[in-house]
Amino acid sequence: MTSVDTPAAASPVSARRARGSKGKGPSRRRARSGRLFIAPNLAAVTVFMVFPLGFSLYMSFQQWDVFNPPKFLGLKNFEQLFTSDPLFLIAIRNTLIFTIGTVLPTVLISLVVAGVLNRKIKGIGIFRTIVFLPLAISSVVMAVVWQFVFNTDNGLLNIMLGWIGVGPIPWLVEPRWAMISLCMVSVWRSVPFATVILLAAMQGVPETVYEAAKVDGAGHIRQFVSITVPLIRGALSFVTVISVIHAFQAFDLVYVLNGANGGPETATYVLGIMLFQHAFSFLEFGYASALAWVMFAILLVLTVLQLRITRERSWEASRGLS
Amino acid sequence: MTPVNRAAISSTMLGKPFGRRSLLRSAAALTAASLAPWAAGCASDDDDDALTFFFAANPDEAKARMHVVDEFRRRHPDIKVRPVLSGPGVMQQLSTFCAGGRCPDVLMGWELTYAELAARGVLLDLNTLLAQDKAFAAELKSESIGSLYDTFTYNGGQYALPEQWAGNYLFYNKQLFAEAGVPPPPTTWEQPWTFAQFQDAATALTHRSGSGRAMQWGFVNTWWSYYSAGLFAMNNGVPWSTPLKNPTHLNFDDDAFIEAVQFYADLSNKYRVAPNASEVQSMSTADLFAVGKAAIALGGHWRYQTFIRAQGLDFDVTCMPVGPSLPKGHAALSNIGSTGLAISASSQRKEQAWEFVKFATGPIGQAIIGESCLFVPVLRSALNSDGFAKAHQRIRNLAVLTTGPAHSEGLPVTPAWEKVVALMDREFGPVLRGSRPATSLTGLSHEVDEVLRAP
Repeated sequence: MTSVDTPAAASPVSARRARGSKGKGPSRRRARSGRLFIAPNLAAVTVFMVFPLGFSLYMSFQQWDVFNPPKFLGLKNFEQLFTSDPLFLIAIRNTLIFTIGTVLPTVLISLVVAGVLNRKIKGIGIFRTIVFLPLAISSVVMAVVWQFVFNTDNGLLNIMLGWIGVGPIPWLVEPRWAMISLCMVSVWRSVPFATVILLAAMQGVPETVYEAAKVDGAGHIRQFVSITVPLIRGALSFVTVISVIHAFQAFDLVYVLNGANGGPETATYVLGIMLFQHAFSFLEFGYASALAWVMFAILLVLTVLQLRITRERSWEASRGLS
Repeated sequence: MTPVNRAAISSTMLGKPFGRRSLLRSAAALTAASLAPWAAGCASDDDDDALTFFFAANPDEAKARMHVVDEFRRRHPDIKVRPVLSGPGVMQQLSTFCAGGRCPDVLMGWELTYAELAARGVLLDLNTLLAQDKAFAAELKSESIGSLYDTFTYNGGQYALPEQWAGNYLFYNKQLFAEAGVPPPPTTWEQPWTFAQFQDAATALTHRSGSGRAMQWGFVNTWWSYYSAGLFAMNNGVPWSTPLKNPTHLNFDDDAFIEAVQFYADLSNKYRVAPNASEVQSMSTADLFAVGKAAIALGGHWRYQTFIRAQGLDFDVTCMPVGPSLPKGHAALSNIGSTGLAISASSQRKEQAWEFVKFATGPIGQAIIGESCLFVPVLRSALNSDGFAKAHQRIRNLAVLTTGPAHSEGLPVTPAWEKVVALMDREFGPVLRGSRPATSLTGLSHEVDEVLRAP
């Protein structure tokens, strides 16, 4: 409690004065100060988040090319998206492949990496720093660097594969390899963040549980599978939800690594690329807004489902424990 | 400790809530004070009276365009000009400006994309201004090259005036030709070489090491590959579409178009005289020509300055080869690829904008453009001027440049071009990589027709 709070809370005189002045007391003033403190943030949220959200919802029912006034279309944008746009299905398919190809390896690799980094070994801080480095690099820089790595003739990856006798792989040239390359870079980008969260959760697991397991004869792997993973389920669930959201919103990485059209052919044509293309190349801002809301709806359903499943599981687990 | 700090601390110690309020007020005052000069600075930078000129250019090109702007400023001191250089994504930037109510007064229009803006009413029909300025209109008509001027005529309106020709032709390395004993290619568009002669030359000029790795390429493309393939098709007697304006069908399914695209793809994948899609990943094709590792390069005049700067490079220019389906005796063709200057329909300074457009597309502006080494002007007077010839002393076949605009044909002009390009990017890829035959472009033709019917 600060010295400012003390008189108002403790002194009956002040309290009476506060009641007598009908709200002009310190608590009301504190509330007003509080509102003033959050006002800049609130204004920023309103201007940069609430307004664009509302505007894009409004635009999803319009035809708008920026240059001319919007024209009301009703649900026509959504109808066209679901019934007569063959690329929407391709974009959904690619986004799903990209999401699965990113989230699954990300969660598995980060679990293992966090498990390794959680050990008390000398010099572990250096390894932790190295693992977290990609977190500090922007996606565009990362994509440019990986373009060099994926170069068919002189790329680092093909040179290294050449040492073990594997012929050059057309990473970014052939459609089937392009999606694999994209997932690889995306996993590279996502692992550090997921590792940070999982490592923090792992460090919160009580040491006594491990000691008890050791007494019962459980090895390192058994301890990891039966103690660590169940006890960090909350963090795992968070990492999965965030990774799914990030994968669905993929744009910058694809744009730089595979081009503005999500090529070659439609191999990496994901929803983010489709949205950008319709908005800024075709100047169909209404259609792009409709697509953005469809993406939001898909993500909302996925997240709610995922959270519900996790909650049911944790409830079952806690009942099982009790 | 400063008196202000002491006062703040003492008021907190005394439990006065006013301390926080004063702190808030001080913070607000400080913020306002710090923002005031910044806002004033912005206002001073933002010259609202000036005519805005929006254009896209690389640093060299920007310098050449600034010469035109500077000369205009010198001759029209009463008109302030604020050049606005576009970043990558021209349409994105332009739409953002216009959505924010700050559409530029004069803007650069591209042959392929201006229709998207014209159809939306963004561009002013310059016929209204040309009708009032009869002397300039007559001069322009007599000096202009018809096909270039007509490129910016859309739905009966004139939406831009051409300011430079950016058609493609071939650069060739004279020394490599001589060393390989290959006769020099044609000197004019009227007496072209054939696809077969071109292929033979490219084959003779391709050298490989013992391991099969190419040490020197016969041919490299420095333009967009699907447009280059289309240029070979034009030289096989097939225009991209008939008519060029608002087409309902593109000729991707024409046998002669397919034949030419296949020939172009085979140069890389079958004859191995040009680098393939994987090989161009690791090297710039323009650099390959500049360092003497490629004998022929397809590109436009924007490559000229890069090549004259290359040390020890002795090059000249020549025309495109013609295919077997082009009628006998027909001259080779280039593409128009011009940029033009347009005026925004919402501009508040239309008269000043018109003065600027007239200057840049008229004889003086065109003469400056011609002397820049960077662009090919579009007026006959500038094309045949000493200034243009002086800027191109390094090459002998100057006629390829001076008569290039007259031997150019356009690409389709449709507001749906961005969608067509997205489809082309998808469908040309496998053909040019050699994983599908060019006959598969028939499918693209149907897809494009659908887009053209319902853009």
